[in-house]
Amino acid sequence: MSARPVRIAVMALGGQGGGVLAEWIVKAGERAGYVAQSTSVPGVAQRTGATIYYVELFPQAEIDSVGASPILALMPAPGDVDIVIAAELMEAGRALNRGFVTSATTLIASTHRIFAIGEKIAMSDGRQDAQAVRQAVEAAAGRGIWFDMERAAEESGAVISAVMFGALAGSGATPIPRAAFEETIRSAGRAVERNLTGFASGFDASMSETNAFASTQNKAARSAPQPAPAVAPLLTRVGDLPANAQAMAREGLKRVVDFQDPRYGSVYLDRLEEIASVDRGAGGETRRFALTAAVAKYLALAMAYDDVVRVADLKTRSSRFVRFREDVRAADGQIVRVWEYMHPRLEEACDLLPPALARSILSTSAARKIFDAVFGKGRRVATTNLSGFFLLNALASLKFLRRGGLRFDVENERTVRWLELVKANAAGDYALACEIASLQRLIKGYGETHERGLANYRLIIAALDQVKAAPSPAQALARLRDSALKDEDGVALRAALSKLGGNSAVAAA
Amino acid sequence: MAERSFAAEVEDLKLGSGEVFRGEGILAVTKALLQSGVSYVGGYQGAPISHLMDVLADAQDILSSLGVHFEASASEAAAAAMLAASVNHPLRGAVTWKSTVGTNVASDALANVASSGVRGGALIIVGEDYGEGSSIMQERSHAFAMKSQMWLLDPRPNLESIVAMVHRGFELSEASNTPVMLELRIRACHLYGSFVAKDNVRPAYGLKDAMENPTRDYSRVVLPPSNFVHEIEKIDKRWPAAVDFVKKFRLNEFLGGKSGDIGIIVQGGLYNTLNRAMELAGVADAFGRTQIPIYCLNVTYPLIEDEVRGFCLDKRAVLLIEEGQPEYIEQAINSILRNADIQAKIFGKEVLPRAGEYTSGVVLEGLRGFIKMHAPQLSNERAASKPDIVGPDLTKIVPQRPAGFCTGCPERPVFTAMKLVEKEIGKFHVSCDIGCHLFSILPPFDIGNTTMGYGLGWAGASAFGADARRRTVAVMGDGGFWHNGLTSGVGNAVFNKSDNVLVIIDNGYSAATGGQDILSSRAENRTKSTNNPIAAAVRGVGVKWVEEVHTYDVGRMKRVLKDAMTTTLKGPKIIIAQAECMLNRQRREKPQRDKAIREGRRVVRARYGVDPDTCTGDHSCIRLSGCPSLTIKDNPDPLRDDPVAYVNNDCVGCGVCGENAHAAVLCPSFYRAELIYNPSGADKFLWRLRCAIIGFFQRAADRRRMRFSFGEGS
Repeated sequence: MSARPVRIAVMALGGQGGGVLAEWIVKAGERAGYVAQSTSVPGVAQRTGATIYYVELFPQAEIDSVGASPILALMPAPGDVDIVIAAELMEAGRALNRGFVTSATTLIASTHRIFAIGEKIAMSDGRQDAQAVRQAVEAAAGRGIWFDMERAAEESGAVISAVMFGALAGSGATPIPRAAFEETIRSAGRAVERNLTGFASGFDASMSETNAFASTQNKAARSAPQPAPAVAPLLTRVGDLPANAQAMAREGLKRVVDFQDPRYGSVYLDRLEEIASVDRGAGGETRRFALTAAVAKYLALAMAYDDVVRVADLKTRSSRFVRFREDVRAADGQIVRVWEYMHPRLEEACDLLPPALARSILSTSAARKIFDAVFGKGRRVATTNLSGFFLLNALASLKFLRRGGLRFDVENERTVRWLELVKANAAGDYALACEIASLQRLIKGYGETHERGLANYRLIIAALDQVKAAPSPAQALARLRDSALKDEDGVALRAALSKLGGNSAVAAA
Repeated sequence: MAERSFAAEVEDLKLGSGEVFRGEGILAVTKALLQSGVSYVGGYQGAPISHLMDVLADAQDILSSLGVHFEASASEAAAAAMLAASVNHPLRGAVTWKSTVGTNVASDALANVASSGVRGGALIIVGEDYGEGSSIMQERSHAFAMKSQMWLLDPRPNLESIVAMVHRGFELSEASNTPVMLELRIRACHLYGSFVAKDNVRPAYGLKDAMENPTRDYSRVVLPPSNFVHEIEKIDKRWPAAVDFVKKFRLNEFLGGKSGDIGIIVQGGLYNTLNRAMELAGVADAFGRTQIPIYCLNVTYPLIEDEVRGFCLDKRAVLLIEEGQPEYIEQAINSILRNADIQAKIFGKEVLPRAGEYTSGVVLEGLRGFIKMHAPQLSNERAASKPDIVGPDLTKIVPQRPAGFCTGCPERPVFTAMKLVEKEIGKFHVSCDIGCHLFSILPPFDIGNTTMGYGLGWAGASAFGADARRRTVAVMGDGGFWHNGLTSGVGNAVFNKSDNVLVIIDNGYSAATGGQDILSSRAENRTKSTNNPIAAAVRGVGVKWVEEVHTYDVGRMKRVLKDAMTTTLKGPKIIIAQAECMLNRQRREKPQRDKAIREGRRVVRARYGVDPDTCTGDHSCIRLSGCPSLTIKDNPDPLRDDPVAYVNNDCVGCGVCGENAHAAVLCPSFYRAELIYNPSGADKFLWRLRCAIIGFFQRAADRRRMRFSFGEGS
């Protein structure tokens, strides 16, 4: 077998710098005595699409001894790639799909995810199974080097290309010495120091062939102070719930107390305990008390609904001020000013008013007109200014009005009816009761999003009799819930309902 | 200013004899043009030939020292018409564009220049946008060469061969008085390689000479009776002259084994792919050494009948690697062999796919089939075995990544507004154009019905002239507008009394092709006239209803669009949606900002964020935006199931996500953050004051919450 070129494919997304990496590999190869060729098909893929850069390196010494030029290919051939560099986890999967990853391949892949638009626009969780991809690629590749290159790049202030370049050097999969790699970065002359740091971090991670950036979750364990006296009795009650539901109940209780007060937390536990007793009666023990666990979670969300008071409260907390500084990558001590995008509607403003008054305001068109004139375009509230902070702080302090307000009335009534449905069905069809409990998942968000979710929830509840008549009610209900999360216009849900024979329910809505 | 600066590449254009040029294929062509003594170059940008235009735009000094005139033509038709200069004069000229789309536009002028014939060499460099990475309809430029009888070069994809073919192309054009097309596939255009340069040549007879010494020749004008004479000339004189030249200078190559009863004919541009397949099948090595005879067609039109006959005479079976369809070469070779009564059987589309790109894998499979059938003795273990690809099928899991608007793109809010208006007045027909804005047809917007070609967005909706209750919307970019949309779209709508709506995306560049300047660009350009507003142009041709809207103002964009769709006023309506292309803006502003920060000047940088505890994971915001920096992450809340929205560090602070939250009444999770670098004394004072007071109240609130603490310190 005569000499063959070193064949390197770079799988990247447009804008990730795959072209820069290919160029660097070419230059490093040339420094090390190779004839280098690279190609790509960027085209529209430059705008966020997936694309491949391909490099071949051929030893000059071989060329000299034969006295002819090698014929280098312009694209990777399936089953014939020495090194695959994937700048994102799913792109490693794409390389496998294209046949570039074999037992002879060294795979260098970043473990971070850049979610595709199809994954992001789902109304629930549309993320694909990244672990399945990693396992498949790991099994196929002769050798795999995986670490979070994006994080390494960020920590070193380098471009991700520099980290990938370092990983390639560290892998030893090319005959190019480290100095030739580093010299290439130097002579490129842009952000040299930072890119060399990124290169070194990629090099080291690759050398160790372990996950150099494995999540370091063992943050200094904080001392665990005792619970406050006001909530201690409630926590004791959590301890009496079925063991499998306790963790969720604790989170739920915490949320409800945080939303209002321990008294409200006590209501939460009353309701949950009732469910637990129904659960026990329905043979929940054999089902790991799934019903109690589900209700523990969704009851908390139902009771701690998202209203203006809660938003204002969350926006003004000290912990939030720490978090947004981290999120926007502010340097220590750097001044950061923050504005909120608030767009309250008349409905939200009436949340806290007594139900009778609120309903009469909501039915007056003049009130709506005046309100729209003031808030119609939405408001930007400067939370880091005193005026904005105190406005939100004042809103947050209106918590005490909640229980007497319209929203509380509406939410409470719905929650009670929902719990009744769960209880009523638990004995007859345990799985169905669990599905009814998790229908709460549909109700989320604010404004139109909230209304849409609530409308879908009501449509499905109204069709419960048809659901029960179906061969497998729990599965039928789960299908309805999933279809409600398929599209915003309710097309899938209507189709699923009419398939169920629930046309009457649709008409009624 | 183009997306990239080509200052470094411009230096490569100055290389002299014996120096080694290292760089991209399309830049090698640019250098070869200067080495060939070209007098004028024109073209229209587009992948994969944009860089040829961009580097020449940056190389004014070299061009003027060589007496070369460069035009960034208004369209491919305008570029092709430039070749008229070579009809009467011994001037060498070259034009370039993306093909087949550009060739479609250019074909009127091309047919004329091909009929007239040329004195000076005329070269048409077409970037064949076919196969992977292509954004256009899948067709062949080959047909254009055949219909107008221009010669088509398809060189082997290495820089030496490509450059040599540019030189030969001019000579062939002059020897046969025919324009010559040089076809380069995408990968060849972007190919990095090297060749040994020659000195640039200043033409002996230049444009100045031609302008000062006009010559007229009635017989060169396409009008009776000359047009009939031209056709006969093509067949009787130009074609034989071309065939003689190709044979004499051996433009086609006979490679591989000298004899044998099987052989391979390949388009030059596919030779490297073929050799890699042969390597993998175990019948060639990396240097192209093989026993199998190969006839490499660096000229794919016309075919040289003697050569074809000679190659096939002693063969039983010949594999023909011809990419694309219809299979013009296969048909022509079969016709040649039939006429000569040669029995060699041609295997082209019989063993290779009829459609689609001929990748290494595809060619390898075809080659294996051919060897198995006709040369089993060559079949060895490597040839028989498939590559060892293991692993489960991930095609359902690995997500599609359609192209989309960049982070902070000003075109995105236009379509957000459109989506919001559709929610209010119902869906309407949307006729799209060519440009980045065409990404509206993809998720998350899913807006758009058809695209009929560059600048033809409004013309594509012109049939909808009925008296309907709902108007149509057409979209056009500023690039398409100046390419031809001003006449084919706007003039057409005015003249035919359209009552429909046009949205012109005015982002200051021909953005999709690499950010080249156009007439309405805001930047000053040393060699071009910019700052000619679109609004003035459309009013000039008679449009009365014209609104200019800043795109990032989603609320206003929505109101204006709704107004255009619902006003009782009759007549064409144009919304000019304005904001600079973010990619170019960042390229310009980011270095300036970084410099200012380094120099200690006060800089305020805005970016956006999402609060994960108020986000409920519905992702409405993403469905209205699709910004790459607006993404998702695990929900930190154990009670919630769905991932939360999250703005990553690529955010450029355009503000559309916040505007969307307002315009669509989404949710209160978005916030705008302003980071201050090198704050002034007043900044610091105010900040300390605010921190002190706000902190006081926050600590009080923290203490109140501690009364209900669960004992986790959180």
